[in-house]
Amino acid sequence: MVKIDGNPFSPCNMNPHLSYKRSVLDAATVDSALCPKGQASIQSSYDPYRVVKVLKRAGRRGSNRWITIPFAQAINEIANGGRLFSHVRGEEKRAVTGLKEIWALRDAKLASAMANDIKVIMSKKTAEEKKTAVEEFKAKHKNSLHTLIDPDHPDLGPRNNQLVFVWGRLKAGRGDLISRFTKDAFGSVNAHGHTTVCQGSLYFTGKAMSEQYVDGKWSGGKKFFWQADQQGSEFIIFVGVNPFEANVGPTFRAQRITDGLVSGRLKYVVIDPRLSRTAALAWKWLPNKPGTEAAIALGMIRWVIDNKRFDERYLRNANRAAASADKEPTWCNASWLVRLDKEGKPGGFLRASGVGLAPKESRKTSDGKGTYEFDPFVVSVNGRFIPFDPNDGKNPVEGDLLVDSEVGGVRVKSGLQLLYEQAAAHTIEDWAEISGLKVGDLVDLAREFTSHGKKAAAEIHRGVSQHTNGFYNCTAWLSLNLLIGNYDWKGGMAQASTYDHFGGRAGKPFPIGRMHPGKITNFGISIIRHDMKYEDTTLFSGYPARRPWYPLASDIYQEIVPSAGDAYPYPIKALFIYMGTPVYSLPAGHTNIEILTDVKKIPLIVANDITIGETSMYADYIFPDQANLERWEFAGSHPSIIWKVQPIRQPAIATPNETVKVFGQEMPCSLEGLLLGLAEKLGLPGFGPGGLGEKRDLLRAEDLYLPMVANVAFGERADGSDAVPEADDRESEMFLKARRHLPKTVFDPQRWQNIVGEKWWRKVVYVLNRGGRFDEFANGYDAEQLKNKHGTLINLYQEKTATIKNSMTGKPFPGVATYLPASADVLGRPVADAGYDLTLITHREITHTKSRTISNYWLLTVLPEGIFTISKSDAQRLGFKNGDRVKVLSASNPEGVWDLKNGHKKPMIGKVTVIEGIRPGVVSFSLGHGHWAYGASDVVINGKRIRGDKRRALGIHANAAMRIDPVLKNTCLSDMTGASAVFYDTKVKLVKV
Amino acid sequence: MRRLKTRRKGEARRNFLKTVLAGAVMGAALLAKGERSEAAPAEESLSALPGGESPLLRMQRELQRAMKKPIAERNWVMVIDQRKCVGCSACRVACVTENALPPGVTYRTVPEVENGSYPEVKRFFMPTQCMQCDKPPCLEASNAISPGSMTKRPDGIVAINYRKFRGRRAFQAAVKACPYKALYYDDGRFFTDGTPAFQPYEASGSFDYGELWKRVKGQGDPPIGGGRKCHFCLHRLSAEMLPVCVTTCIGRAAYFGDLNDPQSLVSELLEKNQAKVVRIRENRATEPRVYYIVDEPALAAAYHT
Repeated sequence: MVKIDGNPFSPCNMNPHLSYKRSVLDAATVDSALCPKGQASIQSSYDPYRVVKVLKRAGRRGSNRWITIPFAQAINEIANGGRLFSHVRGEEKRAVTGLKEIWALRDAKLASAMANDIKVIMSKKTAEEKKTAVEEFKAKHKNSLHTLIDPDHPDLGPRNNQLVFVWGRLKAGRGDLISRFTKDAFGSVNAHGHTTVCQGSLYFTGKAMSEQYVDGKWSGGKKFFWQADQQGSEFIIFVGVNPFEANVGPTFRAQRITDGLVSGRLKYVVIDPRLSRTAALAWKWLPNKPGTEAAIALGMIRWVIDNKRFDERYLRNANRAAASADKEPTWCNASWLVRLDKEGKPGGFLRASGVGLAPKESRKTSDGKGTYEFDPFVVSVNGRFIPFDPNDGKNPVEGDLLVDSEVGGVRVKSGLQLLYEQAAAHTIEDWAEISGLKVGDLVDLAREFTSHGKKAAAEIHRGVSQHTNGFYNCTAWLSLNLLIGNYDWKGGMAQASTYDHFGGRAGKPFPIGRMHPGKITNFGISIIRHDMKYEDTTLFSGYPARRPWYPLASDIYQEIVPSAGDAYPYPIKALFIYMGTPVYSLPAGHTNIEILTDVKKIPLIVANDITIGETSMYADYIFPDQANLERWEFAGSHPSIIWKVQPIRQPAIATPNETVKVFGQEMPCSLEGLLLGLAEKLGLPGFGPGGLGEKRDLLRAEDLYLPMVANVAFGERADGSDAVPEADDRESEMFLKARRHLPKTVFDPQRWQNIVGEKWWRKVVYVLNRGGRFDEFANGYDAEQLKNKHGTLINLYQEKTATIKNSMTGKPFPGVATYLPASADVLGRPVADAGYDLTLITHREITHTKSRTISNYWLLTVLPEGIFTISKSDAQRLGFKNGDRVKVLSASNPEGVWDLKNGHKKPMIGKVTVIEGIRPGVVSFSLGHGHWAYGASDVVINGKRIRGDKRRALGIHANAAMRIDPVLKNTCLSDMTGASAVFYDTKVKLVKV
Repeated sequence: MRRLKTRRKGEARRNFLKTVLAGAVMGAALLAKGERSEAAPAEESLSALPGGESPLLRMQRELQRAMKKPIAERNWVMVIDQRKCVGCSACRVACVTENALPPGVTYRTVPEVENGSYPEVKRFFMPTQCMQCDKPPCLEASNAISPGSMTKRPDGIVAINYRKFRGRRAFQAAVKACPYKALYYDDGRFFTDGTPAFQPYEASGSFDYGELWKRVKGQGDPPIGGGRKCHFCLHRLSAEMLPVCVTTCIGRAAYFGDLNDPQSLVSELLEKNQAKVVRIRENRATEPRVYYIVDEPALAAAYHT
């Protein structure tokens, strides 16, 4: 391969994109837009530093001394354990527990029974009751207690949970395979992603705001986020968002935003301490103080409510019927009444039965199998209290918006009233002062935001969410959007929509989730203590908890290694890392090194990587993976892509990796090879012959992925009426010719055809020829609304959140947007760090991802090394000039170094660039540079030294300066609600070197 | 990043506009073209209409039309709408991949200017390249040393003869003459030099001027050992494909086409935005073939002063 261009069938590249019906032969000469990273990604495949054979550690962890070993031997060692590192000094007698032993609970029926019995324990309210329930559990399962981590705490789950699988960037397909292996076959709860290092609190605000009241409880909240529909909008406020350079989708977004600018359709504002490229083209650039994002939103909310500029018609709709009557796709709970406690603090919503307004009703659950008690919610309608059902599609209920009243002796306030009170906690002048902006700018923004009907949007991202107050920053901005009711409207807030590959929808030819004989129920508390309340567990012992619990979040990246380090809630035995590098990517990621190098804390580390990276260098084994151009993935979509899409990545070139044999099949060493190899060795259910059900094998990657392509080809309608056409002869011929260079281990057309069968084959070819499936350009909108809708209740007031306690303080989380000053430790105490005068932030140049692009030399021609950018006034104050080399120090890293262990330290030194376009008091560095692994340093393989490439080590990577939490001492600062790893709340100083 | 030393606003800008616009009228080429199609959609609406067509498709169709004409009747120009440039350098990297360029050679760069004082600050991105001048000073300079090393093609492209444009002397003469710093010397390096494994993709070859050029490590055959520059992706034009910096542009700031075709998108853009069109260093009378649409002509030119 020599070159990559954008796919003209995809709205991600072309605007407007080609009709899906067009011949792929005609489209062959149509190139479309592509980000520089996409262009240069060839160099990730053709990287001289790629790992192509299985490596085993030859020295201490992190010593960078390796030997190559046969794939089969590595699989055998990992499965069976033993004295695997007797060749390493100090580990002569260390016995490693193999996966065979960790896979303790194998009986699916027993697992299911235990999982149910644990629910009983967790439902008990007092310690005493829990103790009794535990004793009952132990009696019932007395013959199987050896399968548990700790029989006295059965809620920790089976020993299977001591296998932890963690990933960085992961897309569907591979994600489904990892989940199938770890959760459904091996039975561990511990398969965790990297969400919180990206924009966790944004995702989990989305989850909290999308929770629905179903069967008497809040559930079904989606881990997702909204973005502005930049192709339809007239006014966008980008807060901590950089669509031209960062995030997924500069290619997609930039051309639509610039089109809007030049045509006069769109005006936008960027709120960011640094003048990004996006800000460069903005109507206004507002450089705020980092961490005050909620203050800006609340200032605007105050102005909007004071001046009655909100969409009253939208906000009054209390239930589905009221929304339908107004042709509104969504509705919110602004008018719902919230109960206040004796101290006036809001808690749960008022229910009708408690104040004698209506009795509880017994209703059937949505699956029709059980019953639950429905207790209506209440709104005030012209001062009268009216009970209602939020999901009622027949009887519209519209409530008063600003209510502060009493009913049946209970003090109540409406959701909007509670929001207003938070906004009114300060004057607009004070909010401006807090955020470091001008009052006039806040008012201008609020006025403009409310001057375009629903064609305005406030979009947020990392700059808002990666603070200790991230969750409430996000809540505040998404609440502001609710005030104009712009969700699902053209130019408002949009969500992603994809063609289902997994076969979850009715009629799909391959329901992958059900195609798993011997599937086991995984259960127990996860190593990151997510999706679970501390108080419900047998570990509850008052506040603060030993480490934070995250009942509203998941995929809490910064908790994985440190929790293993602290053995809380339990020690782990094996850590698998796929395409992730917590050491490099996490704030204060150096804290992970200390734990990763301790073989007692993590006895076995297996990495799957394309190079020896900053984290995989600490592994015991590295299995080479396929790079992106060599493998399968279902890339999904992104919120501002308003069309239904499913881009499909497929092998375009052969991999340089060794060929391995698994289940009698030859395949390139890869993630799939690793997992299938272990599954074969262990005999995991759901893999191998008959692994996908009767007469359907799972022997190699395509056995799983091609049926997924067929699901995409089938479409979304149960009757199959929107299936794609069949590829004609010419297209089919092109399909084969375009793959003639691929070896049989990667592309075997006859075998491929057999997997999906004749019925689906030509449709699969049709989809793969177009790089996935993309809805027609004309299907973006339904008149003035988005075609693909969220279409449900959105929580302005989050009852579920308000009824959950912070595990470190014992206090309930606020249920409505609020301003909490950053930065704070896990106990909520301010982290001041006097004497450190600059706030450290990061930014992204478009030429880099966080950790994986330093091998792309073409990108280094644009920016050879990362730099510190500081303001001219700070530079003058500190006596710095352009090009000076400076070191960054913080209270938790006063030496300013990465301690890599084994006697290696990398000082955090970079060059200063003095600019006007950054808020004084703030220093930023661009992510992606300053490596010490990934080919940047020497490694020894089979006794031969391989010299590192200095280009990869250039520049600064200052994550190790980011604040370590003073209580936890081995983890970065975190948002206790939305779980974000905190990037932007550290005070540092720069010293000349 | 380069900072503007002088803040050209007000008077300086007005004076500047005058000079620029005199040139921006573009003499014969544009005005003589007369009527333009009323049916052709305005640039703004091209991508905004549901079911509309990408400007890429329209330009490609126009390109196909132009390629059917005799070469002397093609009048290639590039139009860069600076207002839409997001400074991403996708064009630069795409150019490197398309032309298999070695370290130190970039046919396209995207210099940047920061202007103003905190918090009233702006950044401007100005994609720049060989302007394919109608009066190319580089051509005279290099041909004076190596006759035949550069030619002006009938379609407007300034072409290098890699077999004749050899050595530093002719190159430096051309560089000195070029007001746009658009020439680069190929000194024979590869990106994976000094790494454990030289990567074959780097030696896969390029198609500059319609020929296959293989750069061989350790050998000095052309194009190694001579000057190189943008050629409007001549080899792609022959295949009826647009220059890669145009197709890959993520801000849709780059346009390409035949100025002799009054219905072409480039003709339309230049006519509709007359007051905003500049060519860089108009005062050097080089008659460049790259036009910029800018809101602030003074700033656009500042980088090149």
